[in-house]
Amino acid sequence: MAEEFRHTMTSDEKLISDTLSGNITSFGTLVERYWNMVVGLAMSKIGEPSEAEDVAQESFLKAYSQLHCLRQPSRFAGWLSRITLQQCSNTIRGKIRCRSALGCKATGIEDLNTKAANPCNDRLTESQRHFIRERIQRLPEKFQKLIVMRFMGGLSAVQIAKQLGKRPGTVRVWLHRAYKILRKDLAPILEEVK
Amino acid sequence: MNCEKYKKLIEKYIEGAIGDEQVAELKSHAETCEQCREEFEQCRGLGDAVREAFSSRMSTEEGRASVMARLSAEPGITVRRAQYNLGWLAGRRASIAAGILLAIGLTLGFYMGKASTDKPTAAKVPMRVAKLDGTILVRHEGLDSWQVLKANSAIHLGDTFHSTAKSAFVLEMEDKSTIEVNQNSMLVLKFYNGETQFFLEYGRCTAALESPHSPFFIGTPHGRVEALGTEFTVTVE
Repeated sequence: MAEEFRHTMTSDEKLISDTLSGNITSFGTLVERYWNMVVGLAMSKIGEPSEAEDVAQESFLKAYSQLHCLRQPSRFAGWLSRITLQQCSNTIRGKIRCRSALGCKATGIEDLNTKAANPCNDRLTESQRHFIRERIQRLPEKFQKLIVMRFMGGLSAVQIAKQLGKRPGTVRVWLHRAYKILRKDLAPILEEVK
Repeated sequence: MNCEKYKKLIEKYIEGAIGDEQVAELKSHAETCEQCREEFEQCRGLGDAVREAFSSRMSTEEGRASVMARLSAEPGITVRRAQYNLGWLAGRRASIAAGILLAIGLTLGFYMGKASTDKPTAAKVPMRVAKLDGTILVRHEGLDSWQVLKANSAIHLGDTFHSTAKSAFVLEMEDKSTIEVNQNSMLVLKFYNGETQFFLEYGRCTAALESPHSPFFIGTPHGRVEALGTEFTVTVE
């Protein structure tokens, strides 16, 4: 599984320690490693790809400036995911505040979801991608995070458990439950793209 | 056929706890067993579909470049050396600082009435991207996010261009004069004395002007440079 290979490279702990010693390039490697996971998490909350990328940028900047506060560098991905979800909440709150206080025309979540994302691989149509995102947004929050960390972050169940401070058995059970729900919900799309 | 072993392998596949050899074994079994093939393909298809639905429009390299550009463009964002015994007060200080910053941000956001958008608000300028190599980032005036410059992107007043390592681009003006920006440079389009002016924050750019040309300047943090001939290079260390 190609996405797992990168985790055999320089460890997060080493990259964090190098960053804290002033080597900014090491932080760049961390960004590259977790970019897809962070954008995926943001998209699972916000829906619109370009806005999710903005949130991802902000999350990495926040992580960079707060890196000295990270007490367990081996749990960087879990810490980063919490920062990302916090940034998403701030963005959503900002939009609601803007909409109610100023009456400005913020884009509705449905409209946001239908904007073209221009992915390189167009095996799925935009409405299918929207459908998948919408189904994942319906999952319990702990399952959503797990699915994004597994597929977009390329982390295994054991690695996710370590990152989130959970027991591996618990994460395995959650992952299989989430899988079961998604297989049922996404069956029509999976049949179409077979 | 005993499929129990392969069912366990599929479970491991879902958990991401399977090696290449085991995947190959699973694939080879799936070729002969319809039930396992169906199961395995569904798992793979589900993973691929989720990855595609949540994929970023930017590659990981572009994501990295955009964050690095923000870090270099905003010197206020710094990393501090590790301090594991910050104590109670340090936490408090951070919270208070975050609160103040948040309040300033919210106040500014409120008064500016700026909805979150990635559309530039400034006027377009009659220029086009004539050549583009590597990853060039552009930030429109008044917006925080950096976007990747495309060959057909419209150019706006106030745009800031950042060329990452091994990247370069050429802007062509109405009169076919060009300005080429080398790697690791930052160029800003500013409005100065009623006309659009190039401002080179750092890096290197080369202007090739069509003759005859009206007075042409490139601003730098150290002063303005005027073009006397038709081709000249400006470097800001």
